[in-house]
Amino acid sequence: MNNRREFLKLGALAALGASIPGCRKAETPALESFTGPLDPLHAYPYRGWEDLYRKQWTWDKVVRSTHSANCTGSCSWNVYVRNGVMIREEQAGDYPRISADLPDYNPRGCQKGACFTEYVYGPQRLRSPLIRAGERGEGKWRKATWDEALTLIAGKLLDNIYNYGPDTNTYFSVIPAMSPVSFCAGSRLAHYTGGVFCSFYDWYCDLPPGEPLTWGVQTESCECADWFNSKYIVLWGSNISQTRIPDAHFAWEARYNGAKVVGISPDFNSSMIHADLFLAIQPGTDAALALGVAKYIVDHNLYDAPYVKEQTDLALLVDKRTSRFVRPPNVNDVFFFQDAKTGKRHEAPGSMGSKEKTIALQGADPDLHYSDGEVTTVFELLRQKLAPYTLESVAETTGLALNDIRQFAHEFATRKPAMIIHGAGTNHWFHNDLINRSLILLVALSGNTGKNGGGFNHYVGQERVWPERGFRAYAFPEGVKKQRMQNMTLWTYTHSSNHDPHLYNGKPIEHYIDESVKNGWMPLYPKNRQQKPRALIVWRANYLNQAKGNEYILKSLWKDLDLIVDLNYRMDTTALHSDVVLPAASYYEKSDISSTDCHSYIHPFNKVLEPLYESKPDWEIFRDLARKMSQIAGERKLAPYHDEQFGWDRDFTKTYDAWSANGRFQQAEDGANFIMDGSPETKGMTFEQLKQHPQRFLKIDEEAWNSDIREGQAYTPFQHQVENKRPWRTLTGRQQFYLDHPWFLDFGEQLPVHKEPLGESAKYPFFWNTPHGRWSIHSTWRDARYQLRLQRGIPIVYMHPDDAKERHIQDNDWVKVFNDNGAFVSKVQILPGEKRKRLTMYHGWERYLGFLQGGWQSPTVIKIKPTQLVGGYGHVNFRLNYWGPTGNNRDARVDIVKYTPTAADLRTIRRAGKEQA
Amino acid sequence: MPEHQISMVLDLNKCLGCQTCTMACKKLWTDGDGMDYMYWNNVETRPGQGYPRNWDKIGGGFEDGKLRPSEIPTKEDYGQTFEYNYAERLFQGGPQAMPQEEVRNTPNWDEDVGAMTLGENYYFYLPRLCNHCTNPACLEACPRKAIYKRAEDGIVLVDQERCEGYRYCVRACPYKKIYFNELLGKAQKCIFCYPRIENSEANACARQCPGRLRFVGFLDDPTSAVHKLVHVYKVALGLFPEKGTAPNVFYVPPFNPPRRGSYGKSVLEDPRMPMDYLQYLFGGEVIDVIRRLEGELQRAQNGSKSEVLQLLIGRDDQVRYQIPKHGDLIQLPGGRKA
Ligand code: SF4
Ligand code: SF4
Ligand code: SF4
Repeated sequence: MNNRREFLKLGALAALGASIPGCRKAETPALESFTGPLDPLHAYPYRGWEDLYRKQWTWDKVVRSTHSANCTGSCSWNVYVRNGVMIREEQAGDYPRISADLPDYNPRGCQKGACFTEYVYGPQRLRSPLIRAGERGEGKWRKATWDEALTLIAGKLLDNIYNYGPDTNTYFSVIPAMSPVSFCAGSRLAHYTGGVFCSFYDWYCDLPPGEPLTWGVQTESCECADWFNSKYIVLWGSNISQTRIPDAHFAWEARYNGAKVVGISPDFNSSMIHADLFLAIQPGTDAALALGVAKYIVDHNLYDAPYVKEQTDLALLVDKRTSRFVRPPNVNDVFFFQDAKTGKRHEAPGSMGSKEKTIALQGADPDLHYSDGEVTTVFELLRQKLAPYTLESVAETTGLALNDIRQFAHEFATRKPAMIIHGAGTNHWFHNDLINRSLILLVALSGNTGKNGGGFNHYVGQERVWPERGFRAYAFPEGVKKQRMQNMTLWTYTHSSNHDPHLYNGKPIEHYIDESVKNGWMPLYPKNRQQKPRALIVWRANYLNQAKGNEYILKSLWKDLDLIVDLNYRMDTTALHSDVVLPAASYYEKSDISSTDCHSYIHPFNKVLEPLYESKPDWEIFRDLARKMSQIAGERKLAPYHDEQFGWDRDFTKTYDAWSANGRFQQAEDGANFIMDGSPETKGMTFEQLKQHPQRFLKIDEEAWNSDIREGQAYTPFQHQVENKRPWRTLTGRQQFYLDHPWFLDFGEQLPVHKEPLGESAKYPFFWNTPHGRWSIHSTWRDARYQLRLQRGIPIVYMHPDDAKERHIQDNDWVKVFNDNGAFVSKVQILPGEKRKRLTMYHGWERYLGFLQGGWQSPTVIKIKPTQLVGGYGHVNFRLNYWGPTGNNRDARVDIVKYTPTAADLRTIRRAGKEQA
Repeated sequence: MPEHQISMVLDLNKCLGCQTCTMACKKLWTDGDGMDYMYWNNVETRPGQGYPRNWDKIGGGFEDGKLRPSEIPTKEDYGQTFEYNYAERLFQGGPQAMPQEEVRNTPNWDEDVGAMTLGENYYFYLPRLCNHCTNPACLEACPRKAIYKRAEDGIVLVDQERCEGYRYCVRACPYKKIYFNELLGKAQKCIFCYPRIENSEANACARQCPGRLRFVGFLDDPTSAVHKLVHVYKVALGLFPEKGTAPNVFYVPPFNPPRRGSYGKSVLEDPRMPMDYLQYLFGGEVIDVIRRLEGELQRAQNGSKSEVLQLLIGRDDQVRYQIPKHGDLIQLPGGRKA
């Protein structure tokens, strides 16, 4: 026994030492040498062992990098290497301070970034090219060489081009801002080979359509440090404590600096717990609340009249009979207001057709209230529209207490600056545009937009590529007009068996799609409607797992495609369901750059180590693929392909030359430097410089953005308009709340209005809610072991205790959630903060993990809103990721029952997981 | 008594529940053999079962100056540490990926659950680490005298050479912040990141906290933020003061928003989170602290500046951490630091 203990003790110390490379056993002081009573509370003589832990906090080298998961964080990390292994990471914590008053950005990061090294060496990691050996999704593979895999892909892409047209090859990659060089590597190949490039920001419903409609921009938000300047922060459908982990502190710190924080959300979530006022709103009634507040502001004359007259279209005249703006005959883009000073009609300066490049009123005083027999103002129409939204009726619709909303309305109007922080909670509704427009109206009426600490600030997705000009030039060198661009929502809907049974004004959505495509408002590829998409190449994305209408896609589109290629560092659901999987370098094994809406800095990805196993950075994979296409085109002696759409004779023997700009781009850093050099934001910076510490942008590109970067100040958009009186990027040159496009008029949506969520079916009583959460960035980290051990290990659907009781469901039961679109089986957690008649599962769970059936997107179907197919109206035109139908999914309804695992299920549950990963 | 006492103050009104602290500590210290189940730093939703399950109900600490040891929590109380069959599922055509056993408990099992009063939910996040107590029950309980309190900073450590694995310390600690490594046969616990502290670098859990809610410094240093928060502004309290260990980790107690329809009322008047519960955790003093904080918040929101809230903003890490180099701090008799 004694011996055994001695052995254990020795073994223990040896093991401790062994787990710490380079650690020598600390010198043991001889016990005997110490005499006298041992009183370890006061003194302790045997402290030589302490070096054990000191040695654990050592490393051989530290390299800066970041993560590319579309988290919007863009956090700079140090990765620590010991004995050739990346052992851990810690935030670099060296974003330069903007000013002494503003809290700094350090340490930006979250728990997921704190263990990305888990993925680098994890069992999901892709180590070599794989070619499918079983059914798609089965997980049976044959190892291939790079040459074999690339030959297969290149040959097939060329076959498709010559046999079916270049628009049967489809490319999908998301969010250039998070790693533009990797993004561009593939977009350049699509560009030079005529492939279809698909959008993501609208498809993932992260685009707030109210912004392009009202402001003519994609998304314009303040950087998060500006939250600190606010005196009233409304978290509207945004759970910042979970989804903006690196930035949430600015809001809670603003509170200590005098801001009040209001939280609007159906559930009592992690952000609501810290709010001064929590409004537990009924799902989908956000526009009603906003319009109630708008009415309160208008009725109590609390609106900022000078601001509204100059900065919005509310003073513009509308023809009462046609409901269209008053315009000069045969002119589409010139507008009028009634000048209260002269009593005369006055042309509104700064519209698209105006000769004046300013919105300054130059002494005129637009009459907001003018009405006569023929015309009236947008303001007066708005006042009528707002009439039903009394606080009492809003309390009824939203389920909120009258006392709370009255105080909210009053404080919103009077505490300045006030801002709305807006998130996916509200943006994923079918009527997201109406919700956006209602909220934007509030910050406009109160004169908050364009001011530090104010405005409507939407943060979902890392869409903002600050060095935009250089990026565009690198991504699509011959110009975006020579690139086939495709809204992904429309593409997926059309090419899968997704079918929306709703009628919109009596007509199916197909009617509106046909009209839109026929009018040239929205593109739809392949152009030849007899053709089907043939190849799909996905990188930096998990298309299949995240797609709405998952079950339909698996049964149709996924069967129709003859080649699915996935570039990835891990085997995600899309990779698993692909034909060829190419192992990409992880975030810590490549060079790239990163930027985000949330801050005003740029910083790098670096090779902490050379790519592990046989992996290569995406950039090199596309380079090699371009080379391979040229080689095969040469071998096959292919004559140039005449691409009629662009009048472009495509010589594929030259694809690599074009891709690399005749050898100019030799490595990824060259791409990074090209992007930085071509953009005013970063001109003069070099990739080498970024390695030192994050650099704040220098200036801005006036074509792309709407405020300057100012030393000592947080960035907030629209100062050009509000301070410099530059026209807004809309038809009227103003924040445009009135849209007189015929389709908007047909649907009664010329002004913001509250519309109920679509009742998918009376059969299904629960809203199906799949918000972003803390434990993953979309599907990334969904399968990471260290994360899962701090959850419940598998997917969980949350349910209110009273709903659970009614259905005899208990915590941690298996449950089935279903509707006519599909079903899944997961575990349930009873959550008192959940809204009644709603089920929530944080989004992104991989289909292959934990579900006994289906996945979280199984109950959804793609629904396109007709007015989001509109084009040809001033500022409302298709533009990739700026304007196009959103892939909303909040309106889905489901039911839930307790599920008893079958014998086969039990075998899966027990058999699985045995192996040590 | 140590000559100096390092300390941490955590402002619970800034905590996001994001677990970056947990992950930071795990990756740095408890990534080794036999340590899977250990989270020297954990974050639990309160009210809730905690980690390990029911740690606050099973005993430990002192009563009338005597140790009141508890049972040793079971493995399941600490939470399962499962692996997955990814290689099989993703690369060999195997069955659905699952944890290797059905999961019944994890260290964060009841995340965001909390409790209800009158139909309304309340909760908050409580990040926990070893309190490096002034009167450590773990130390008192160790028959081998292998647990000691460092004279220069008051950090409580388990001597990894002399520990024999008797586990009296595990029973004694009222916070259950000392763990047993079965593989090594040693008790292990939070070391307050002394290798970092010795180099003026804040602990990993503090330095990596994106909520920026942790303040670190010496309690006896009148210029430190921790000193001011605990002794001058008196807004930070120890957890379970009645357990008699005199903890050196302090918390700014949490608020929840008012109940539905009660906007404008004091949280003491019509609280969503019952004050009893806060008193249970932080002792009777918490009521005064909440009153003080509410007053400061109102002052700030009415346009004046609140000194204590300005400090809690913690604009950068120089405001949050005051950690002099150990070499400069003291020369102590019998200490190893040379
Ligand atoms: S890292 Fe900070 S904010 Fe996040 S859970 Fe830990 S203490 Fe709270
Ligand atoms: S918290 Fe527990 S382990 Fe830490 S010093 Fe106090 S009694 Fe010891
Ligand atoms: S102080 Fe260090 S060892 Fe202790 S919990 Fe924090 S990170 Fe872990």
